[in-house]
Amino acid sequence: MRLLLVEDEIDIQSFLQRSLEEAGYEVEAASDGKTAEKLAAESVFDILIVDLGLPDQDGINLILRLRQLGVRAPVLILSARRSVDDRVRGLEQGGDDYLTKPFALAELLARLRNLLKRNCPSTGEATRLRVQDLELDLLRREASRGGQVLQLTQQEFVLLEYLCRNAGRVVTRSMILDKVWGMRIQPDTNVVDVHIYRLRGKVDGDGQIPLIRTMRGVGYVLKDR
Amino acid sequence: MSSKTDRPPMRSAAWRISLWATLAFACGTMVVFVFLQSFVASDIQRRSDAWLSGEVETLGDVAERTPKDALYGRVVGEVAELASKEVPNKEADESEPNDSVFFLQSGSDGSLKLWVGSGDGQQPLNAIRSTKILEDHPTDVRIPGFRIPFRVASIGIEDGSRIFLGLSERDEIRVLRSLRWRFFVLWMLIVLLGFSIVFLTTRRMLSHVRNITEAASRIGHSELDARVPTTNRNDEVSHLAITLNRMLDRIENSMHQLHTITDSLAHDLRSPLTAIRGKLEMSLSSATDGEQSEPIVSVIEELDRLTDFLNKSLDVAEAKADALRLTRSMIDLTELLKIMTDLYEPSMSENGLRVSVVTHGPVEIYADAALLHRMVANLLDNELKHLPANCTLTVEARAVDEVAWLILEDNGPGFDSEVLQHLFERRVKGRDSSGHGLGLAFVDAVAHAHGGKATASNQEEGGARIVVVLPMAVAQGKQIQSPIIVAPK
Repeated sequence: MRLLLVEDEIDIQSFLQRSLEEAGYEVEAASDGKTAEKLAAESVFDILIVDLGLPDQDGINLILRLRQLGVRAPVLILSARRSVDDRVRGLEQGGDDYLTKPFALAELLARLRNLLKRNCPSTGEATRLRVQDLELDLLRREASRGGQVLQLTQQEFVLLEYLCRNAGRVVTRSMILDKVWGMRIQPDTNVVDVHIYRLRGKVDGDGQIPLIRTMRGVGYVLKDR
Repeated sequence: MSSKTDRPPMRSAAWRISLWATLAFACGTMVVFVFLQSFVASDIQRRSDAWLSGEVETLGDVAERTPKDALYGRVVGEVAELASKEVPNKEADESEPNDSVFFLQSGSDGSLKLWVGSGDGQQPLNAIRSTKILEDHPTDVRIPGFRIPFRVASIGIEDGSRIFLGLSERDEIRVLRSLRWRFFVLWMLIVLLGFSIVFLTTRRMLSHVRNITEAASRIGHSELDARVPTTNRNDEVSHLAITLNRMLDRIENSMHQLHTITDSLAHDLRSPLTAIRGKLEMSLSSATDGEQSEPIVSVIEELDRLTDFLNKSLDVAEAKADALRLTRSMIDLTELLKIMTDLYEPSMSENGLRVSVVTHGPVEIYADAALLHRMVANLLDNELKHLPANCTLTVEARAVDEVAWLILEDNGPGFDSEVLQHLFERRVKGRDSSGHGLGLAFVDAVAHAHGGKATASNQEEGGARIVVVLPMAVAQGKQIQSPIIVAPK
């Protein structure tokens, strides 16, 4: 996966480049719009990360220019601005995504994956998910572990499904709130943790290998091996 | 709400203004007419008096010169008859028997000597006798059988008898009546015309004012780029509009500056925060054991709290300055409460709290979804943090008169009385609160940005009660009414 990272803050650029490379992306970095345009013209990228506050031009203008130049790769917009402006919303509707700074690396990676998935839709939706001995029947909305059916509420099933779909990858609390409850909020309290705690009580019963792991400071991960 | 159609014209200011103006105009013209009429009446009287005096003199002359023989009565009668045909102000219609004039001669003993007129003349004679008649000036005499008094002039002649000439005031009154009638019709027309002109003009003028009011109140609901409509005329109303627009320019300008400041502040703080957080996350992933990772994790958590605090502070600051930028959409408050309580229920029951939702069907509001989510989350966070175990929280959404009510009631200890007054201000928090005192300030700020309000009180039977009122969704294009803040029982 070739990724073009357009970010003028050197600190952010360098840690992003390192983390993205660790995550398996082939990263080219640009510090301004001009360089980005040049790089985009020279080679093909699968995905772009563009910061809105570039020194030579507005990030949105850059994206629109690149689109005109025929760049079709999805864009993850990084914004340090407080409010999302209407043009960002426009791009969001056009298939791109945005993330406000500061962000958790896990969330950035999750959003990149989503963008790439959106770009090349898989053939046919799976009706069953399987992670180790945990099995989810998406049609009957039923989960079982080691053949034992788990008594889950509707909400818990959706949460577990989300964790399974991201098995092996870290999901943050705000990602869970966004995807499972459909809201971008930052509660002061441990509401998400209690949901996870309850789900864990049902999934990781007595004597079983714990599947749901807490990554402190980051989020949660459903172990896939 | 004051759109052109839903307000009866009787209750408009234009109606009142034109009513008073017309009343003043009508009274004024009426006074003028009363003067005019009394002038005309006295003039008519003067003319008929002059005629009477002249005629009675002629008749006296004739009576004196005519020999008192058998022909006397006929000659004088003829003369009197002729005179009666020259009566001033007479109606053209001659078919009626002429009873508007009489001639009467009384002897020196007061007996009736000669009578020309309708009837036998006895009644007029009696009436004249009972009335004091001046020699040289005509006098009013009421004669039984006649509704209208007669004007009677008299003259004495040498043989001691007196000649009386009576003229009915009927024609005079008729003239005046027709004058009054014509004036009244004209007066009504003019008054109606005047009323319509004043009403239409004021309504037109006030409709400009109303447009300005509507536009200004829309602007009051965070559409700061809008301007009140101006007209090309150079009058007071257009000056008002221009002045308002200038003021709005300045407000928008300062608002823009505020946005710029908060944006750049946010940007300048967020960029380093992003870099720090990223680096910490990277060292966390390379940390091998818990002892190494523990301090990193706690720094990341602190950092996230700092970020949250930064966001909330800026949001509250902007909202307090009425500068929150809203992206509105239709939201069902009831549905939102259900989802939110679902999200919070496990944490609540973990803390020994019960939570229940009271619903009254969908409560649709036109609001910024993200802000509303955060507002409700703040309210529930607040309860979760402060309510002691074994308490019950009730959340409720209901619609009352185009206003949406979001009500949270608990049976906990309630608010401290010293905190209650300033609950929705920044940095105000309870004695044992660990938060930064922004949660409820943010709630009030969001409610305010949507044209609503948040209120807090302690219930009589104990426990806290927080009410957030928000204007309900109204049809597009209509302005949003400010809610009435009265707690439903």
